[in-house]
Amino acid sequence: MKLPTPPGLRRKPPRPGTTPTRNGAKVNGAANGDPKALKQAQKQAKRDTRKEQALEVPIATLSWLDERTGGGPFLRAFLFRKVPKGTNWYYTLGSATLFAFVNQAVTGVFLAMYYNPSTTQAYGSVHHIINDVFLGEFVRGMHKWGSTVMVVLVFLHMGRTFFFGAYKYPRELNWIIGVVLLILTMAMSFTGYLLPFDQRAFWATVVGVNINASGPIVGPYLADFLRGGAEFTSTTLSRFYAIHMLLIPGLIIALIGAHLFLVSKLGTTAPPWLKAEKARELAEEEI
Amino acid sequence: MNKQEKERYLREYSILKSQGKPFFPYAVFKDGTMACITLAVIIVLSIVLGAELGPKADPTTTSYTPRPEWYFFFLFELLRVIKPPSVVFIATIGVPTVCMVLLILLPFIDRNPERRPARRPIAMVTAVTVIALMTYLTVEGALAGAPGKITLKTPPQYTAGKLVAAESGCQGCHKIGENGNAGPGPNLTHIGARLPRNAIARTLVNPTSPMPSFVALQKSNPQKFNQLVNFLAQLK
Amino acid sequence: MADSSKKKRSPYTKDRGTLGAFEGETVTRRRFITAGALTAGGVATAAVALPALGFALGPIFEKTVREGWQDVGPEADFNPVTYVPKVITLVADIGEAGKTTIYVRKAVAADRSPSDKGKTPLPYVAISTRCAHLGCPVRYVQAAQRFICPCHGGVYDRQGKVVGGPPVRPLDRFYTRVVNGRVQVGQRFSLNSKLERFHPRDPSNHLDGLWQYLYPRRPTT
Repeated sequence: MKLPTPPGLRRKPPRPGTTPTRNGAKVNGAANGDPKALKQAQKQAKRDTRKEQALEVPIATLSWLDERTGGGPFLRAFLFRKVPKGTNWYYTLGSATLFAFVNQAVTGVFLAMYYNPSTTQAYGSVHHIINDVFLGEFVRGMHKWGSTVMVVLVFLHMGRTFFFGAYKYPRELNWIIGVVLLILTMAMSFTGYLLPFDQRAFWATVVGVNINASGPIVGPYLADFLRGGAEFTSTTLSRFYAIHMLLIPGLIIALIGAHLFLVSKLGTTAPPWLKAEKARELAEEEI
Repeated sequence: MNKQEKERYLREYSILKSQGKPFFPYAVFKDGTMACITLAVIIVLSIVLGAELGPKADPTTTSYTPRPEWYFFFLFELLRVIKPPSVVFIATIGVPTVCMVLLILLPFIDRNPERRPARRPIAMVTAVTVIALMTYLTVEGALAGAPGKITLKTPPQYTAGKLVAAESGCQGCHKIGENGNAGPGPNLTHIGARLPRNAIARTLVNPTSPMPSFVALQKSNPQKFNQLVNFLAQLK
Repeated sequence: MADSSKKKRSPYTKDRGTLGAFEGETVTRRRFITAGALTAGGVATAAVALPALGFALGPIFEKTVREGWQDVGPEADFNPVTYVPKVITLVADIGEAGKTTIYVRKAVAADRSPSDKGKTPLPYVAISTRCAHLGCPVRYVQAAQRFICPCHGGVYDRQGKVVGGPPVRPLDRFYTRVVNGRVQVGQRFSLNSKLERFHPRDPSNHLDGLWQYLYPRRPTT
């Protein structure tokens, strides 16, 4: 009993309107009796079939996913959408900021595997990271300098958006989300700064919390919330850790999602000094 | 923007967009390159400058000089220059809050549909002024020295006097070179050119309030007192 | 007779064009289920959100537990002329982070507070090293007899009153008493520029004149 041929070896049916050839046009040359051409044609045919076979599995997987998610058209529209004429290197600052954030998140997760958020153990755990853990000082350095780089990039990106007038209609909401992201980024650096619990961290946080306390009426309550009471205790460090690790990153990720959605929906602006020729004609038309 | 302006913008934008290139691979190439550059910068900084850990947090210290991270230096310097106690909360809470609110409301404050920088004079001037101000405050904040040291260069025979000045708390009220506070006392960097040596010694012993008197130092350790006076007298 | 010219509105949602209406759905049923959905959702959200909020905000309303009286040494260690630094515990069980330095000196007549009002004044002056501007650690400079803050230029005189810079009130002090010849230090309190006593405040909180109503006493103190 003959078993059905496995999928890899099945021949694809010829496209309608073409004549079925076994090994491409070279077969004709081979039919003319040239033995060398025949051998070459056979080799090419083997390569083609092997290529087909290699691509069959990924293509099958993708079409399985596409059937169940309907993601094909969305991906195609997203990847191959047009960006306006004149888009230059200034426009990369936004995605560079996103990349810096991803760097912070990834290095942060690895640091969190060794960090101990207790007032008596925090300093020791950071000391352990930089001295004993393999690549510990490097990862901590990446997290520390990554925060500087991210703040710089956020301000440069904001400056670029301001100078290009990209906060005007219809992108006002995107700008507002961006400013909130800026504030959250500064809050991340404020809360993260305390965690190594060395002298610099401790006193910068004391001053920062007291700055919050200086607002009339509401200020001292805000300071109480941050510290977890009227004095700096172990609750304070735990709070800062929870805010730095969970609360603000969650908000940042949600807002970055909204920010990127709006960017792909509305498109990035063209540089403001570009004028479309046709637009001028149309504008004159309507007057 | 009224309806007509909005439509005109959208029309012009759709033309410019259709004349552009596909996001993948052109924009992705630029973004990817920039991501590599960002990563390279972070790695180089991490390897070259490292991540040092200072001494352990010690709330009982009386000798530590707290400083914030560099991107908060402009706020730090603002707190140093705004002296009157009654307006302190404006510097701590007022200015940053007002700035944040103005930033958020920017699209509603600036309703001019014009985008070209050359045609937006108010926006450009405001932006450049704010950036220059923040840069200046950041640099000043970075240079603010600790009150326990005097970094001014002095000839070796006056170093002893310089140390006496540094540990006597003069910088609490006087500026000496880059160190110290700009008030309530006058700047001492060129005091030797303004007052003769005797006048300096007299002021130290019999000052005008609120400056404290150093007569106790003169009596208990006349050598140190003389070193102090000599150091101040050579600040020309 | 019945007013037949007045048309009765249809009791069915489909006739009224309500969104998502289906055949046979009445308006009353729709309204009942909508109200029920909003109520149930509201209750579920509140049941999660309110305890979470209370948990996060709880410390604002609890009185912060502080250390009681602490021994700082025999009376012979101190004098009325100069300050002696001592370390006390503000918060227990968190190691170094819970301690602070105070400067102790025997009290003189000039240190009396108007709040004493005929009662015995405090025997010793125990001054906190937290600057009243934003909390940086101040140091006492014996030669100038001044407390100097390294951060933003605050300067205080021998009694802790402000003589220069941005601090908004004098340095905080601690209650003191003498038991069996040993000096003990108790709770912290704040002062205004007239040396009147108040419940402890955070740095940057003014206490002179009307300012004390902008920075009132809180549940945590």
